[in-house]
Amino acid sequence: MASLGYYLLLAAFIVSAYAAAMAVAGARRRSNALIESGIGAFYLVAAIMSAASGVIVYAFMAGEYSIKYVHRYSDAALPLFFKITSYWGGLDGSIMFWVFLLSLFGSVAVYVNRERHRELIPYVVAVISGVQMFFLLLMVVHNNPFATYLTETNTVGRGLNPALQNFYMVIHPPTMYLGFVGLTIPFAFGMAALITGYLDDAWLRAVRRWTMVAWLFLSIGLGLGMIWAYEELGWGGYWMWDPVENAGLLPWFTATAFLHSVMVQERRGMLRVWNVTLVITTFFLTIFGTFMTRSGVVQSVHAFGQDPQLARMFIVFMIALLTFSFGLVIYRLPLLKSRNELDSWVSREAAFLVNNWILLFSAFFVLFATMFPTLSEAVTHQRLTVAEPFFNQWMRPIGLILLILTGIGPLLAWRRSTIMNLRDQFLVPVGFAVVTAGLLASLGVRVWSSGICFALSAFVVGTISQEFWRGAGVRAGVTGTDRFTALVGLVGRNKRRYGGYIVHLGIVLIFLGFAGKGFSLEEKATLTPGQQVQIGEFLLRYDSLKTHDDAQKQMVTAQVTVLRDGKEVTTMYPARWYFHGHEDSPTTETAIWRSFAQDVYVFLAAFEPATQEASLDLHINPLVNWLWLGFGVIALGTGLALLPETVFATALVKIPANAATTSLLFFVLLLAPVTGTAQSAGTGQITPRSDVERKIEGELMCTCGACRRTLASCGMPNCHGHAAQSKKLRALLAEGKSREEILAIFVRDLGQDILASPIDRGFNRLAWLFPYATAAAALVAIVFTARRWSRPAAHAVAGDAGMDSALSARLDDELRDLD
Amino acid sequence: MSHKAAKIGITSAVLAAAFGALLFTSLNENLQYYKFVDEVMAEPQAWEGKPLKVHGYVKAGTITRNKATREYRFEVQRNGKVIQASFTGSPPDAFKDDSEVVLTGVLTGQQFIASDMSAKCPSKYEEGAAKRPKIVAQAD
Repeated sequence: MASLGYYLLLAAFIVSAYAAAMAVAGARRRSNALIESGIGAFYLVAAIMSAASGVIVYAFMAGEYSIKYVHRYSDAALPLFFKITSYWGGLDGSIMFWVFLLSLFGSVAVYVNRERHRELIPYVVAVISGVQMFFLLLMVVHNNPFATYLTETNTVGRGLNPALQNFYMVIHPPTMYLGFVGLTIPFAFGMAALITGYLDDAWLRAVRRWTMVAWLFLSIGLGLGMIWAYEELGWGGYWMWDPVENAGLLPWFTATAFLHSVMVQERRGMLRVWNVTLVITTFFLTIFGTFMTRSGVVQSVHAFGQDPQLARMFIVFMIALLTFSFGLVIYRLPLLKSRNELDSWVSREAAFLVNNWILLFSAFFVLFATMFPTLSEAVTHQRLTVAEPFFNQWMRPIGLILLILTGIGPLLAWRRSTIMNLRDQFLVPVGFAVVTAGLLASLGVRVWSSGICFALSAFVVGTISQEFWRGAGVRAGVTGTDRFTALVGLVGRNKRRYGGYIVHLGIVLIFLGFAGKGFSLEEKATLTPGQQVQIGEFLLRYDSLKTHDDAQKQMVTAQVTVLRDGKEVTTMYPARWYFHGHEDSPTTETAIWRSFAQDVYVFLAAFEPATQEASLDLHINPLVNWLWLGFGVIALGTGLALLPETVFATALVKIPANAATTSLLFFVLLLAPVTGTAQSAGTGQITPRSDVERKIEGELMCTCGACRRTLASCGMPNCHGHAAQSKKLRALLAEGKSREEILAIFVRDLGQDILASPIDRGFNRLAWLFPYATAAAALVAIVFTARRWSRPAAHAVAGDAGMDSALSARLDDELRDLD
Repeated sequence: MSHKAAKIGITSAVLAAAFGALLFTSLNENLQYYKFVDEVMAEPQAWEGKPLKVHGYVKAGTITRNKATREYRFEVQRNGKVIQASFTGSPPDAFKDDSEVVLTGVLTGQQFIASDMSAKCPSKYEEGAAKRPKIVAQAD
């Protein structure tokens, strides 16, 4: 088993080397056969890595504890799901997972572009193979995930740390890896363009979309990491500038910069050296981030252990990488000459340039502060550190400047803005900002940075709405449709631009979440049952402390009732779970009551079983949910921008007048009866022991007093307690109450003892996946509708071509001169 | 051309100097020394009152907790040197006997008053990977 896996890795290394060699040789000798052979070998690496992944997943499932990695990160009791995800639970496996993803991404990228960018492909294959070889080499000589024990034979595993057995730890790392790995593709194309000298804008077109995909995964990965920290760690915050967090943020900054500066090169032929540099820097930062977190160079709470040998290998690779890539840039400088000069500082390209500088400065600053302990040790032999306040002190103003630029950029014309169009463009957005600022001042908002942030957010929202409104107005005038239909058409025809604006809207929401932090409240209290504590507008009453057991763990749960203006708002159950075998490291289960205005966040810090005394950490976190919503909106906007060109292109000129408005109304009408039916179907469900009923029976304790089991497993269905409960349950189900409502009623009537386990937070999680699910559903709907619309007969489309180009011409140059 | 180069050069120099000065002053206010327990205890007087991060291991069986004040008292050790530590608040989940901790705070007399504590996650990010045997075994 283990040797099979190891030989697969070796084979992948050799095949990668072959692919790189053949591709380069083929390109130099202009031999198609050699290139094809290289590409074939490149696909083969993906197949081999898939097989190797299959082997390690199988080893986890079958419990091959002779393999060290399997022994260290799993045991028989681990649910199947976590056994599979243990694949990337540790250092060695995560490197292998990285190569696996890279080989898949690389194969797709090569397959898609093999005809269109024929001259670049051989070097793309070579560069990606080179990166793969580095990571494969790491595994083969140093971090072999298939390493076995030589002497001892283990029959049981050590088990996965309970803290990692949760949903976000399953989904967050692969999302980050996808982002990191995805950024290798633009790098490979950039290098190929440098090597071949085909430095026109073709390579940019090939990588634009890949960068967006990687950027999307990176953003979602960062968001998920923040949600995880917020829900699991219990300190009420979501970002603490830990080196591992920063490692994910660094390439995000430079990738964001690249996505903006690409537009300047496409439109004006400027910033060509800059763009190549950004692509290289971004890729370098993904490698550097990996190095930082895996080698123990920087101290971090959740860095992998110290490993000097790994550190040395990474350093060699990074030096080679920098020398080779920047060497090429210098060699190709003559070919990278800008086609244009900056005409004016009051122009869109200047705004993008400033945005790029600031993003790059952010990356540089975070890198500097993160590496500061290491740097200071090297220079002064004293390890000095800087903490969260230092980061915030710098990043707060930087963030606000970026927010202003988000609003200003779209308002400026390319090349040069005249005073006239400046006034015309800025009037409404600035009005938004001034009104908001006035409103805040009259309400007496005293937190300066948050107040400025709100006003700037209003400015950006003003800009974006104005862009949508005016664009739709122009299009409505040209096509003779109503404004809403025109809006749909407009977005469809300029997906990248308007998708980008939606992403900006998401950024604004995220900034609202950041600004809310300025108003957060915190309280620590040790209470006995019945005591209460006031925090902000909420009064929190501590009711009781209960202990429950299930097969995996013992759970200590506190019950806290939240009151506002004397009325009960909700009941919360913060808990500590003691997993069997890990009793000395309990996991804390924070309770969060969410609303759009704020979260009430309760954390059970400690308790005294004898006196029922509980120490609670209480937080009020205003606006924090807008942050998560913002990530959902970003996903939606990026998704829109990523839609293939063909989806809308031919269709939208053909939309009949008012089509969108009518179809929207139609959909609303269509949906109304559906929800009605769903409800009536729900009430009709009185069939004996439905699935829901059975499920709830499993979650309620029997009150007959003798069995101490759940309703479902109690063997005395006719005892008085049991019968009464079953009757009540049926009655509630008959009323059409949902599972949550029924459980809440039982808790209200019979106390929290009735629950077999405290309410699982799984529901919460579902609720917070909602924006993503909505985004996905909306995308599917858009694609579907667009495809339907793009189907009209060929002659109709052809006949409209003239009108189409006239329309493009008018919409072109950003509708600037149409006022 | 040279006129333009000079303009760009001067602008960047001024900006760089301004940022550098800003960075330097704000850095000075935020610095903390990062030391291991044995380094600090080698000459405790030198470190007294300075903003400090101390890295070490919780000595087993020394954790006590004052219910009323929520203060934890425990000993942190490394290479035979021990520091008395005090922390008030909610410690991280991973805080327990023998866990590896980094405390932020000030040394006063013989006691380290920590305002912040972080503890290493025990399993995923493996303890002391460097200590692992370097033999890569192939044999089944």
